[in-house]
Order: sequence, then structure tokens, then C-alpha cells
Amino acid sequence: MEKSGSIDSLGSKRSSSRQPSVDSLSSTSTSRSDRSAQAKPPSAMSSDSVSTSAEFSPELRVSSLHVMVLRDSDKEEPQLIPNETVQDMAQDVTYFCPFTGALRGTVMITNYRLFFKSMDREPAFVLDLPLGVVSRVEKIGSASSRGDVSYGLVCKDMRNLRFSHKQMEDTLRKSIFEVLIKFAFPVSNGLQIFAFEYGQVFPENGWKVYDAVSEYKRQGIPNESWRITKINDHYEMCDTYPSTLAVPVNIPDEELKRVAAFRAKGRIPVLSWIHPESQATVTRCSQPMVGVNGKRSKEDEKYLQSIMDVNAQSHKLFIFDARPSVNAAANKMKGGGYESEDAYQNAELVFLDIHNIHVMRESLRKLKDVVYPNIEDSHWLSNLESTHWLEHIKLILAGALRIADKVESGKTSVVVHCSDGWDRTAQLTSLAMLMLDGYYRTIRGFEVLLEKEWLSFGHRFQLRIGHGDKNHTDADRSPVFIQFIDCVWQLTRQFPAAFEFNEYFLVTILDHLYSCLFGTFLCNSEQQRLKEEIPKRTVSLWSYINSQLEEFTNPLYVNYSNHVLFPVVSLRHLELWVGYYIRWNPRMRPQEPVHQRYKELLAKRAELQKRVDELQREVTNRSASSSSERAGSPTRSITPVQTFV
Amino acid sequence: MFSGKPMKPTFKCYLPPVQTDVKKTIEPPIKKLEPKLLPGEIVVNEVNFVRKCISAESSQDDLWGKLICTNFKVSFIPQDAPPKQKSQLSHLLLGAHDIPLTCLEQVVTVNDTKGKKKVLGSNQKLKFNPTELILYCKDLRIIRFCFDEAGPESAKKVCLAIAHYSHPADLHLLFGFEYQGRRYHESKEGRVNGSTPRGGLQTPIFDRSSDWDREIKRTGASEWRVCSINENYDISPSLPEQIVVPVSLADQDLKLYSSFFTGNRIPLWCWNHPGGSALVRMASISDPLQQKKIEQRVFTAITKSHPQRSDVFRSDLDKCLPNIQDIQSAFVKVRQICVIDPFEESEERWLSSIENTRWLEHVRAFLKHSAEIVYHLDGKNASVILQEEEDRDLNCVVSSLVQLMLDPHYRSLIGFQSLVQKEWVKAGHRFLDRCNHLKKNYKEESPLFILFLDCVWQMMNQYPAAFEFTETYLTVLSDSMWIPLFSTFLFNSPKQRAQHLMDFAKNKAIPPGEDQVVYFPPVWDWSQQFSTKDQTLFNNPMYIGKGAACVQNGEVKTFKRTKQKNYSSTLRGTSASMRNGVKGADETLPRRGSLVSELKPDFSPVKDESPSERFFRDWFSRPADQQGLLIPLLIPSHVALWRLFFLRWVPEACIPKGGPVTAYHKLSQLVDEIDILQSQLRQYKGPSPGSMPLPSPGGPLSDQRRMYFKASSPNDPPTPPDFLTSSFPFTPMGNLCRRSIHGTPISKFLNGARIWLSTETLANDTV
Repeated sequence: MEKSGSIDSLGSKRSSSRQPSVDSLSSTSTSRSDRSAQAKPPSAMSSDSVSTSAEFSPELRVSSLHVMVLRDSDKEEPQLIPNETVQDMAQDVTYFCPFTGALRGTVMITNYRLFFKSMDREPAFVLDLPLGVVSRVEKIGSASSRGDVSYGLVCKDMRNLRFSHKQMEDTLRKSIFEVLIKFAFPVSNGLQIFAFEYGQVFPENGWKVYDAVSEYKRQGIPNESWRITKINDHYEMCDTYPSTLAVPVNIPDEELKRVAAFRAKGRIPVLSWIHPESQATVTRCSQPMVGVNGKRSKEDEKYLQSIMDVNAQSHKLFIFDARPSVNAAANKMKGGGYESEDAYQNAELVFLDIHNIHVMRESLRKLKDVVYPNIEDSHWLSNLESTHWLEHIKLILAGALRIADKVESGKTSVVVHCSDGWDRTAQLTSLAMLMLDGYYRTIRGFEVLLEKEWLSFGHRFQLRIGHGDKNHTDADRSPVFIQFIDCVWQLTRQFPAAFEFNEYFLVTILDHLYSCLFGTFLCNSEQQRLKEEIPKRTVSLWSYINSQLEEFTNPLYVNYSNHVLFPVVSLRHLELWVGYYIRWNPRMRPQEPVHQRYKELLAKRAELQKRVDELQREVTNRSASSSSERAGSPTRSITPVQTFV
Repeated sequence: MFSGKPMKPTFKCYLPPVQTDVKKTIEPPIKKLEPKLLPGEIVVNEVNFVRKCISAESSQDDLWGKLICTNFKVSFIPQDAPPKQKSQLSHLLLGAHDIPLTCLEQVVTVNDTKGKKKVLGSNQKLKFNPTELILYCKDLRIIRFCFDEAGPESAKKVCLAIAHYSHPADLHLLFGFEYQGRRYHESKEGRVNGSTPRGGLQTPIFDRSSDWDREIKRTGASEWRVCSINENYDISPSLPEQIVVPVSLADQDLKLYSSFFTGNRIPLWCWNHPGGSALVRMASISDPLQQKKIEQRVFTAITKSHPQRSDVFRSDLDKCLPNIQDIQSAFVKVRQICVIDPFEESEERWLSSIENTRWLEHVRAFLKHSAEIVYHLDGKNASVILQEEEDRDLNCVVSSLVQLMLDPHYRSLIGFQSLVQKEWVKAGHRFLDRCNHLKKNYKEESPLFILFLDCVWQMMNQYPAAFEFTETYLTVLSDSMWIPLFSTFLFNSPKQRAQHLMDFAKNKAIPPGEDQVVYFPPVWDWSQQFSTKDQTLFNNPMYIGKGAACVQNGEVKTFKRTKQKNYSSTLRGTSASMRNGVKGADETLPRRGSLVSELKPDFSPVKDESPSERFFRDWFSRPADQQGLLIPLLIPSHVALWRLFFLRWVPEACIPKGGPVTAYHKLSQLVDEIDILQSQLRQYKGPSPGSMPLPSPGGPLSDQRRMYFKASSPNDPPTPPDFLTSSFPFTPMGNLCRRSIHGTPISKFLNGARIWLSTETLANDTV
């Protein structure tokens, strides 16, 4: 086979050409997740780390302290972020807080957020909601005798908000909530998503975090068995794949095209991760186009054979089909299907029983019913069970665990796919990689993991989240990514010292998944992002995060080398992520922060160390001046205590 | 990034058993295996060539050795002792394979070939030769021995002996009475005459008035006095000899009233709030004619002892909390699904199964009720009477929980132990019956104390820096209930304890006047069971103790006991907003329109908040002060299963190199560094600054270190130590052997969840 392939691909540096672009962004909203949404339990969010409501918003943290103060102060308006403009304001609006009752106050709508403030309570009650979290706005019957109109906001982040105000006397004047609709769904209204206007400058440039070639290089690719191909440089072979792909050395580009013809949407098996010692690999792809007649492809069979062959440690290849076998079989009716063991002699096919996006959406909807606004006093666990949410989490983690175990303990290469290979497959490969490779458990490593396995490999964020799109019933929406982050959180619970990031980091990612403040989660594929020039025209979420790593760092992190995580995938250990799903409940206080306590202790140690050092110096000086009889200098005799943070 | 040895497959427990021919590989043991016996312990029966099952799936790790029954324990001595696992709690009186007879819940013999099974009691016959012995333990272990190579007759004899000796006919036959007598005399030599009082025990055990006096003083209960009418248990056998009562009640009246209360238990003072309100517990009055009158008098007296003369709030626990049978049945069920049912089976409907046991519901009910009482004592500054038919079960749980929430003193180790002494041991909780040590009356058995420990764990789980001790401590304390060597859990009442200990002293020729704490120590003398080093596992590195206010903001207040006005400062006091030093809105805001009532009627709150809800909401909106009032979160989602306690023996549930201990490890190391620095500082500031001594590099002597895990050094392994598992410091190895379905396919476990699937979603999958 031609070696040419592997080498040249390196030569082409595309790294700088990753451009932004939003193409079909239809969406809208932005949410900044804030925990500040309710002024009252401001820190209701994540447990560790931080606490003031101010830190919530990205802009704020960077710009300085006075902003934070403003946020909490009694000004009538919120501190606007760069290029945020007020669109409308209204007095005498009532917010029906499901926890504490009705509150009257003022509402302000900008092109980015809804800001409600009520002085009914002490302290003042503030609701600060990025419009991106709004999934739908409903006018609730104007039947009220007093002529009030009500609006209900259904949010993507597990809450519903209800407001009402007087019927407008001037019928020409639009309700403020009509204005809200316009800006909550910019894509549907011919407007631009706020991320394209947001003008904050951060010291770090998050768009530089991921570079495919360097990530493959980190893994030791190219090597004698794997090469980087440029076949998809212009997204011709596969428009949902990244331009840089790693494939077995002995398969020439021409053959890749034929393999692509046999794989759904041209998503051929490519390398996700390689074990640094055994060379066992995790590869991902879409389903084979087997169809009802059991079509075969020589090239595809040969291709999988060579994936197996390049791993000398094992004479077997495991194909993990994420779907339940019935679903996989049903796909044959539409031309898809799964690898038959006849055609793929040395392969063993395993179904992982993970359900599709529709089942997951339904499950999360039920979960919301169970947790919001209040949790019933009785039957909590059986209600939770009936949502199946944790069961789904368990199946996903179990699948990833099996993959990780095959690769680590079995030294066997695995191929992972579902139907298209952009939802369940992304969940499985990225979770398995988190278990296998400690790099991905650092903050930067995790960003790389998301950029690689999710963004570059075409998880359809735009469709799944529906940014700025009013079509809330769109069947393409699904919480696949939330589920993944939930799984990561479960891992952090089981291995509290194995991750460099904290819970707040995960919550922040989810908040900005919706907020539309950053360009990171816009579009459906690398190609679209390039076309829309996303990196040029928007700010990356990683710019914000990497500019203040301290906020997102787990102080307990220990960077053990060679530590493969084998979580216990059992409902005995899986738990509902209360810090995310139940954070709006004012009765919920973040778990007393172990991390906060650790930081306090670190500060104490530093202070003591300083005092000891000072005394030491004093003693040294004194002994030097008085007599020099003493043998060892005291400085020596004190073992510096190891400091690591 | 990866180097070194490859990982061992870590979940072999899911994999089908490796077929090995056990018999072939085993050489009959030749070595003489001797049990380690305590003073006074004798071997009753023994059998050789016994196989102890280690894992349910395969016999390849099984141990061969000798099974022994003594008058204290069941002991297994392995032929080839496996290398002791590092850093694991080791008991000074019990080996890794030992089980005290009092810890046995059920002794089951099985004959596999005949398909027979029998639960053995005392003095029974066994018509078949057992091939297997399964011991169900009260600490939730399940231990299995096989007799495939053992002499059938001796095996049978040992089984019968175990069953017999685990059903003692009388309390004084419990091994503690033998052991402590011998120990007293044997260790007498070593003791310096008139050495440290109470054998160095720091925990007040409330057997003398000074302990009560100190408590009255500490809580500022100036309107209460110690009364001695129950000296020699003249009034009631289940009350302590000293009782704290309102100063306005005379001894005479109390004597008079006592006869009307169930068990002659006159009301018992527990605690005073700095605001003046008191917590009192009492039994009910059986005679309905007298009830009103006596209650009136008692209530008036309590009111008089309140600085504001506020009314007394009475809470009848029998009416609003689960009873002891409910609690027992919940515990039996939760044990069933946690340890007895096959893992995979209970996995399928785990959440609803846990719910159906109602254990967590009961835990929550007790916490919730206690929080309500806290509201009355703190939020309303009203004295509270906890009433229960006998005042010896539910009252123990609630009164101790209330005090834990209100008074940080009880969250220290010594404080907690004194709380258990005061509200359980001295208040007459029937430990003997509730633990069912004599296995006589199963109707009286109920794990109230474990329920209490679980409630404490819930609070600890929510406020990890508020307690001086760890969950390991709570777990070890629960295990100690099943070791019959300490005076704490053996008796039903103070009087019974006093009598038995008196007889014991007489029989064992212990000089009169010797302190019972010395000759029959309570569990609180932890050096009986654990080395100093192992005891450091009890220390919580995160604890914010008195005066150890956090460094950063220095804002943490210490719990001040000042006289207060009608409203406790917690109601309106500190502003919530001091988080990270940022001033909150409330402080700068004008108070305009701050009343909800100003809203138009149709906008009134969805539901009216009750004053207690308001009190809790207020409290939750502020940062918690670890040294102040602590209220547990009571949303169902925040009451969790106590995993260490319920799942520590379950191999499948054990997270390798993970679990909360990995955080504990890191925290302990940091605190150890801090301790070293502090000791260096002290050395620098030595008494004679002129001749400053050179500080020793090691810091405090290693046996004085508070932390189990020492400051890290560059020699630390680059990988997480193997002993760090979610079960630490316990190990599931060989401690939970359920008879299992051999070769459960891995797919069954991993794909266990069954999810409904409609044809519609199926069709959609092809999209």
C-alpha cells in the first residue's frame, strides 16, 4: 500500500484553516446559565466551587470587580455585556415563582437575556435568564377577568417560568413577551444568534485548544500502522466528518471511498484512540449499509480486518453496536443494519442496548416532570425509576466500560457504531477514552475530547439543541450531549480525585450549550462551522473557561499516571445529578463544598509555610551572627513540605 | 502517558468463573493451625480441611484451613495466610476471619447432595451431614464454609457448637464477663496504682452528678438542677441515678408524680438552648384521670424554668413516627436487597426496591421530625417535651438528633460519645433486647441505634466539615454493638447494668471501689479494639472545630452561647450574602415594598408559607455555619443510601481505586502537612527563645499524628494505591458470599436494564 498517504497528510497543514462559520444556525438563544437566575439561592448551582451569583456570567468574571457588585446591587438594570442592547422594558409584571409565590417587578428584554427584578422580597429577587434557554413561549389564555395576560416560558434547562401582566390598553403595543419571542428565536425571525455579536475579549483563545494533527501526534499517530489521510480535506467523502482522519496505513484513499459507499453517510471507521502500549484501538463509524438483502462490501470487510491486523496483541475485533439488536435489525428496512459474523470472520458483534434520541428525549421530559418545580414527598425513587433516566445513563456507561475493558484488559481493538455514528457512538467513544486516558480528564484534555469526538465528528448540536429555533417539537432535538455530561459527572462522583475539573465546569458547559453566548456549540459539523466562520466571528467557550481555570479546577485532583477508571456501573452507585437537575429548588443547598474546604486548608498551609520560613530565616540569621558552632543549619533540617495543588 | 505493568482485569467478578479443578491443586494441610485466643477464651470444637469461600463465582481464590468454635467467636485459620492487605483496619481482638458469636444472625447448614437446608438454633439436632455452613452476620457479612474435604462428623459438631454457643441462655454467659475479669487481673500488673482516673477515658458517661452539673453549666441551664431521688434506682430502674429537673419541682413532688408515668419515668431534661428553651423527654401517663393534672404541673415547672416563661410544646412521637417494628422490618428488607439477593437480580429495580423497604423514608421521617423540634427550640424559643409511651426508643433517636443539629459540641468525637451515653445508655434504651443478643425474643429486636447512626451519616454527608469523626467511625461503632466485650450495648437499663457489674465485680474478686470504667470498660475506650494508628481513621480532616475558623474569610463564627432575646439570632441575623466577601443586595436595599402582603389579593403567594417553612427557607438561604445550627436537607432526593454501611461487603459494588476515600486520602495528607508545619512553629516558639532548639524534621511523632494518611512524599506511587476502594477500610474479600447462580452471563448484568420500547420509537431509530 501506498505509504504516500500517511506522510503527506501531515504536510498539509489545515490547522490554521479551521474557520468558523455558522451555517445553518437557526437558532437562538442563549442562556447563561446562571445560577444567578434566582437571586435568592444564588449559589444553588454546583456544589463545589463557587458561590456568588456574580460568577455566573462569563463576561462578569473577566471584567472586573465592580461589575460583580453591580450585578447584585439595587440597580434597576443588569450589567449589560458587550453588544447587548435593551429591546424592551415593562413595569408591573408578575412572576409566579413556583417555590415562593407571586412576585411583582419589572422585566427587561435584551437581545441576549430576560431580566426580572422584584423588590417584593428582601433581598430583592432577580431572575436573569439568557434567552437561549427558552424552548418555547406560550400565551396562556387571556381569559382572566381582570384583563391580565399570562405567558409561560418552557426552558431547556429544566425549568418553566410563568409571568403575567395587564392587558395592553394600547392594542398596537406589543406585549414584552412578544418581543421576547423575537429575540429568543432569532433564527426563526431572521435575526442573528447573539454569539455573533458578543464582543468580549478574553486573554485565552479557546479556538486554539484543539488541533487534530497535534492530538493524533500526542497519541503517536502517524506510526507504522496508522496514517493521517487528507481524503476528506474538502469534506467530499463525508460532509459530517472532520477533514483530518486517521486510518490504517495499508488502506489507500481509493479504497476508503469504496468503504464510504458502504457506510451510512460515508462515515467510515476511523481512529479515535490508540492504546500507547498494546496498540489496541478504538475506532468509530456509522452502520454498514447491509439492507434487507444482506449486502456485503469486500472493501469494508478488508478494512475492518486491517484494523484488527494492526494490533498484534489480539486476533479478534469487537464491534460494539450501540443499539438494541431489534433496532439494529429494523434498520435493515431502510438499507442499514449491522455486520454479519459470516462476512466479518474474526469480528464479534455486541449490541449495547442503548436507545435512540427519541427515547432519551422522552426520558428527560419525564424527569423534568418529576423534579420540577417540586419533588413529591413520597415515591421519589420509584418516580425517578419510572423516568428510566438513570437506567439509560447506566447502559451508556456500561457500554463505555465494556469498550474500555476490551481495549485495556483484553488488548483488543474495537469498532463502535450506532446508526449514523454521531450520537450514541460519540457518547461511547468519548466516555471510553475518558476511562482509558488520563489526559482527557484534565481541563484542556476534556476540551480536546469534546472538540474531537463531538464537534469535529459531527454531533448535530444545532439540530439536537435547536439554537434559536422556535420549532420546539422538532423530532431531531434530544439531550444526547446532556446525557454524556451526566455520565462524566457520575464518573467524577466515583473517582473524586481523578478529574482536574469540578462540577461547576460541567454545569457551565451545559449552561453554555444553550446560552448561545459562545460559538462552540453552534452548527452541526466542522464543515458548517468552517463555512460560517465560527472561530472568526464568535468567541469560544474555552476562551472564557481557560481564562479563569481556577474556578473550574478540582483541588483534589491527583494526576496518577496509568490510572484507568473502571467505574461500577450499577444503580447502587449511579445517582441523580441534583446539582444540575434540581438546582432551581431553593430548598436544595449545594452539598457542603468539600472542595471549598480543601482550598481553605491549602491557604492555611501556605500561611503556615510562610511563617515557618520566616522563623527559619530568623534563626539562621541569628545563629549565623552569634556562633557558628552549630552543625546543620536549621534551614536544612526542615523538610520542605511537599506542595502540590 | 502509560507505562509500567498492565492493569489487571478489574471486574473479573462479572466474568464467568474460570474452571479450575480445585481438588487437584490442594495439598492437605500439614501445618498445625492454632487459634489466637483471648484471656478466658476456650476452644469448644474444631474441624480441619475446611474451605472458606472467597468469591461466589469461582473457587480458585478459596482458602483452606481450620474452622474453630470458641466460647467467643467463630474463627477460621487459613492454611496459607494470604498476605495481609495493606492499610486495612485491623482489629486487635478479632482476626480477619473471625466472627463474634453475638454477631451471628443466622446459622444455616446445607447438604447440597441431599438438597437439604436447616437453620440451626440452640440445642438442636442435625439429621444430615452438612456440606456447607453459611453464617449470616448482624454486621451484614455473609460467610460461607464448605466441608467437601472435612470429616463429616467433626463438621457437624462444629456447626452445632456454633449454633449452640451463639444462643446464650443468659446475659452473664456473654463472653465479656469472662474476658473483662481476666483482663482486669492480668493487666493489673501493668497499671500503676491510682493511675489516670477512669483509665484515661475522656468521654463523660453520666454516671455521676458532676457529669450532669457540667452539662447544665455548659448549656447555661440555670433553672435546672440535678436531683438524686433515683439513687440506687429507687424510683425507676430505667432512669439514671441522677436526673436533671426544673428547680421549681421538689423531690417530694417528683416522687409523687413518678408513679403515674410508665416505668416510673419522670420527665428527663436533655439539653438547653442558649435562648433558654429546654429539651425534655418523658414517658406517658397511664392513668387518664391523673394525666391532665400531672402534665399541667410538669409543664408549668418547665415553663418556669424558661427565662421568657414561654409555653411548652409537646410532641408525641408515637403518633407521628414509625414504630420499632416498622423500623425492624424496613431494615430486614433493605438488608435483603443490599446483601442477600443476588446482585444482578436486585439491580433491575433497584430504586423502587430501596423505596419499598421504606428505610430511607424512616430515616427521613426522623430527621424531619427532629428538624421540626429544632424549629420550636430555636426559631420559636419554646421548650419542647418529647413524649413516647416508654421514653426509651424513639425519644432516644429524636432527642439526640435535635442536639446534634443545635449544638456543635455533640459533633465532636467526645461530644458525640457523651451524647450516646446520655440519651441512649443512661436514658435506658434496651440495647440487650433491641440487639437481641440472647436471641430470645425476636419481636423486641429493632435497629434503632443503626437508624440513628444512619441519620447522623445523612447529616455528615450533607455537611462534611461539621463533624469531627468520619463515616468509618460510625460504621465501626455499629460493628461494636456485636462484640459483647463492652458495657455499652449489653444491658437494657442503668439498673440492670449496675447490678450485673456489681455481681461481676464480686465474682471476679475486683476490689470494691474500683471504677467500673476500668474493670468493664465501655466501647468508648477504643484502644481495646484498635491501634492508635487505626483510630486515626476516625478523624475527619475537613472538620472545622471550635476556634478553627476557616482561614480565608475568617468569617466563621463560633457558636456563642449568649443570652438572647425572644428571637434567636439565626432568624434574622447574619446576612446571607457574605459569600466570597461580596456584599449582597439585601444590605444596600431600601426596605420598600418588602412585604408580600402588599400584593394584590389575586397575586398572593401560591401557597402560604408556614412559619416553620419560612424558618427553614431563611436558614437555607444563608451559608451554613459548621459551628452553629445545622438543618439537614430533607428533599427526598437528598436522603441517600449509606453505601459504606450497606454495601461495604458487596464485591460487585466495590469501586476499585475510587470512592470517597480517594478524596479523604488527599485531604488527610494535606491536613497532616498542616499539622507538621504547626508543630514546627511550636518548636520555634519554644520556651527559651534565646537558645532556640533545632526543630526536628519529622514533625510530630508518628503515633501522635492525627491523620491516617501521612503527608505525601516523592516516593509515593504514581498510581493510586490498590487499597483505596469504595469499601475502605473494609474489604469485601471473602466477607460476602452469596450462593450464586454460576456463570451469570456478563450480558445479563450489563444489559440488565429493560426499557420499554414502542414500535414507534423503533421506527424512529432508523432516521
